[in-house]
Amino acid sequence: MPTRRRIRLTVNEQPYEAEVEPRTTLVDLLRGELGLTGTHVGCEHGVCGACTVLWNGRAVRSCIMLAVQADGGTITTVEGLGRDGELHPIQQAFLEEHGLQCGFCTPGFLMSIYELLERSPDPTDEEIKDTLGGHICRCTGYQQIVAAVRSAAAKLRSPAAGGYG
Amino acid sequence: MAVETPRTLAEMPTSAPRFVGRPVPRVEDPLLLTGRTEFIDNFTLPGMLHCAILRSPHPHARIRAVDTSEAEKLPGVVAVLTGADVKRWTQPTPTVPPGWGGHCLATDKARFVGEPVAAVAATSRYVAEDALELIVVDYEPLPAVVDAARALDPGSPLLFEEHGSNAMLQRVFTWGDVDGAFAGADRVLTDRFRWHRVGANPLETFGVVSQWDLVDGSLTCRGSFQSQFHMAIARALVLGLPSHKVRLISHPHGGSFGGKGGARGTDITALLSRKSGGRPVKWIEDRMEYLAGGASQAWDRHYEASLALKNDGTVTGFRVKLLDDLGATAEGWGAVSAAKPLAAFTGCYAIPTAQYDLTIVATNKLPGSPYRGMGPPPHNWVLEQMMDVAARELGIDPAEIRRRNYIPADQFPYTIASGNEYDSGNYEATLAAVLEMSDYSRLRAEQAEARQNGRWLGIGLVNTIEPGVFDWNAYAVVGQPGTGVPEGATVAIDLFGKLLVKVGFALEGQGQYTVISQVLADYFGVELADIRVVPQDTLSAPPHFGPGGSRLGVAITGAVLGAAELLRRKLVKVAAGLLQAPPEMVELMDGKLRLRGVPGAEMSIAQVAGAMLARSDLLPPDVDPNPEATYVWTAPGRTPADDQGRAKSYLTAANACHLVLVEVDIETGKVEILKYWIADDCGTRLNPANVEGMTQGGVAQGVGAALLEEYVYNEDGQLLTSTFMDYLLPSVYEVPMTEKRALVTPSPFTPLGAKGVGEAAMHTTPAAVMCAIQDALAPLGVRVREVPASPHRLWSLLKEARRS
Repeated sequence: MPTRRRIRLTVNEQPYEAEVEPRTTLVDLLRGELGLTGTHVGCEHGVCGACTVLWNGRAVRSCIMLAVQADGGTITTVEGLGRDGELHPIQQAFLEEHGLQCGFCTPGFLMSIYELLERSPDPTDEEIKDTLGGHICRCTGYQQIVAAVRSAAAKLRSPAAGGYG
Repeated sequence: MAVETPRTLAEMPTSAPRFVGRPVPRVEDPLLLTGRTEFIDNFTLPGMLHCAILRSPHPHARIRAVDTSEAEKLPGVVAVLTGADVKRWTQPTPTVPPGWGGHCLATDKARFVGEPVAAVAATSRYVAEDALELIVVDYEPLPAVVDAARALDPGSPLLFEEHGSNAMLQRVFTWGDVDGAFAGADRVLTDRFRWHRVGANPLETFGVVSQWDLVDGSLTCRGSFQSQFHMAIARALVLGLPSHKVRLISHPHGGSFGGKGGARGTDITALLSRKSGGRPVKWIEDRMEYLAGGASQAWDRHYEASLALKNDGTVTGFRVKLLDDLGATAEGWGAVSAAKPLAAFTGCYAIPTAQYDLTIVATNKLPGSPYRGMGPPPHNWVLEQMMDVAARELGIDPAEIRRRNYIPADQFPYTIASGNEYDSGNYEATLAAVLEMSDYSRLRAEQAEARQNGRWLGIGLVNTIEPGVFDWNAYAVVGQPGTGVPEGATVAIDLFGKLLVKVGFALEGQGQYTVISQVLADYFGVELADIRVVPQDTLSAPPHFGPGGSRLGVAITGAVLGAAELLRRKLVKVAAGLLQAPPEMVELMDGKLRLRGVPGAEMSIAQVAGAMLARSDLLPPDVDPNPEATYVWTAPGRTPADDQGRAKSYLTAANACHLVLVEVDIETGKVEILKYWIADDCGTRLNPANVEGMTQGGVAQGVGAALLEEYVYNEDGQLLTSTFMDYLLPSVYEVPMTEKRALVTPSPFTPLGAKGVGEAAMHTTPAAVMCAIQDALAPLGVRVREVPASPHRLWSLLKEARRS
């Protein structure tokens, strides 16, 4: 059996220690060991973007990253977005703009959009396309997702953002 | 007995609808947005094992022996399943046409690359996959047939030796005097077309958790089942269990588009559970398994089509010869896709005669499955492309030739040559809307000017019918029995006036729980938050089918309105007793049971339901004290198919007109979509934002089919597109942002006048994009006859045209 390795992570502001086989993917650790099943697996080869999480603030595909590679890092998943049962403004924008249908790809989109809006609070059309271009949505045809990104950006820029952003 | 339900919003018991017809936010979204929806891979049971499946690397091979001894010794492995087990324990899967299916694992031979051959249940998926590497299969490779045209050659290898041929079905359907129409035509136009395999690719693959109770002799399967009922009856037949011992629980799923499949995976996990002493077994299909061996592929078609044409542009006959390559078996219900075009064979046009010469063949490729649209998308492309061929031949504008052939708005309901009845429509109005939105004549001028400057712009103008609310009778021609597809709902009011709705389907993405909530909130005068939709399993739900064939929005509206009406009758009776008035004086309006003409004499639904549940002493003696009702809706007026397959099949006929502007780079063959306009008419829009989402999503899948997506097998039968690096799905870069306009011609036959619209633009976009490309390249002498119009394909055509 492959030797297990001990790793330490901060996930959604909680410290974790886990013993993993080196071959364990980050998404399998998050979903299987930590029970954070909001991150979904769509293709397992890094194309569809459904499994995107933030690792040290960067959007990464957790299906092609090994858990041991994430050792020592800080991770945010979709479970870390809202607070106390409230939707994050990006989630709220998706709700209002009908930015989702089956919702399976949505957590991945949310994490990449979160990274985009942290970096660029008033993104250009090209920046939005560049971010969404790394994700496949099979349901919506993207139009309502683009609208949701614009709406989310406006929400986060407004003084009423409530400490988000 | 059918219950009368409101046919229009005005007939609802509300003075001002607050929810139906408005783009209200979806009730299902907060859970989805926070990652808390219970997709099947999020679900675990104590003691659960994980399954991995070994698949054939050969397109056609006899299986001489399977040695599982080393795999069984691997720590963590609990059970290994082989063809010998499934032969002993299962019946071949039922198919249409009948007799073209195998078992969940290959038994004597494998018929396609990716066919399951053995399976392992182990303590983790990692261990299960390790074990697959220890299984030794002794294959005897057989010659394979990959090309549909060669599958019918006398010397071709046979997929099913017992049939003596690879022809699964050969039939000619003739509607009207088609020979006379062609003999009397001013011109006859004929062309050939090729549509390559595409498929559904929901972002979530199929998954299942099965548990076989060895004491009880029962099976419970939880999974991402598009239609749990349909899966359940087939499992009972295949696994040899009495139907009431099979319980399927559909979990919310991450899209389906017809392509969720899962019959083999469900049987494999069920049998592994049986072999593991009843421990639950989970299998989550990975993406490569989906692409190579799942319900992922559809519509592998070779067409020859002819139009009988008058010089004034009138089309008098339409002939289609289709060679449909269904792959290795008929297990995926893919043959249904060849039958569905009968529901709208002649599109928006009043073409009086038609003929369908249909051959379905078996080849050593993955069995075909349903995909959004279920067959018409390629057929629509053929018809619409032929209309453009006719327009060019006669020098008539594509808009004008269509207008001259439309079914006139005053002739609905209209029975088309192939037998289905269209409920309502106004195709000229839809066309006019799109021409106006796009400023069509200016666009043509722009195109002419661009050509002068060496830019090759093309305009695609296409209109199609979306048959809505499928019926089994539509598929009688390929061997599917039955007429009528029931959909049931139970509506209950609790002690506090909250509504509970029980249905037989899980979330899939179309927003049906929102639609149910909108309808009932207006009916009973409550808020959306006062309603909770609770999906039931196959043993607890009323008769149901679930989503499919653009049916559920209409069907579930009918079911909940029927249940609401039955419930209203009970409430009226109780309220009449409590208000001491005759029942005919009591009405439901705006959430109150009120005495007509007596202001203030009224009770809330909570008060009435509360009396029913907690004050039996106050109730009239002959009332049913249960504030709950169940209604099962079926489409009215369906007829069995006649000897030419003609039937009143799909209840509704939505229509759409798309206009797309593309530019083709003739140096590279790359197509760019510059602008896209849509006018569509699906009757009453219960939730316009849902409809818009369905439409735009259909555009995306249509663009994928027209330009990007293709399953490619090499001549040896090996799949070359088994990842998303090779099978290209459209991203935000390829999908156009569209301008949409809604027209509303209500259906006279459905609750509230809504029409099926779930397949939406998938019916129209592939044809629109292809016609636009053809329009761009026609002056260069290029004929675009193959889908997808990938850059290398167009580049080759352009090179060829230059050479000649």
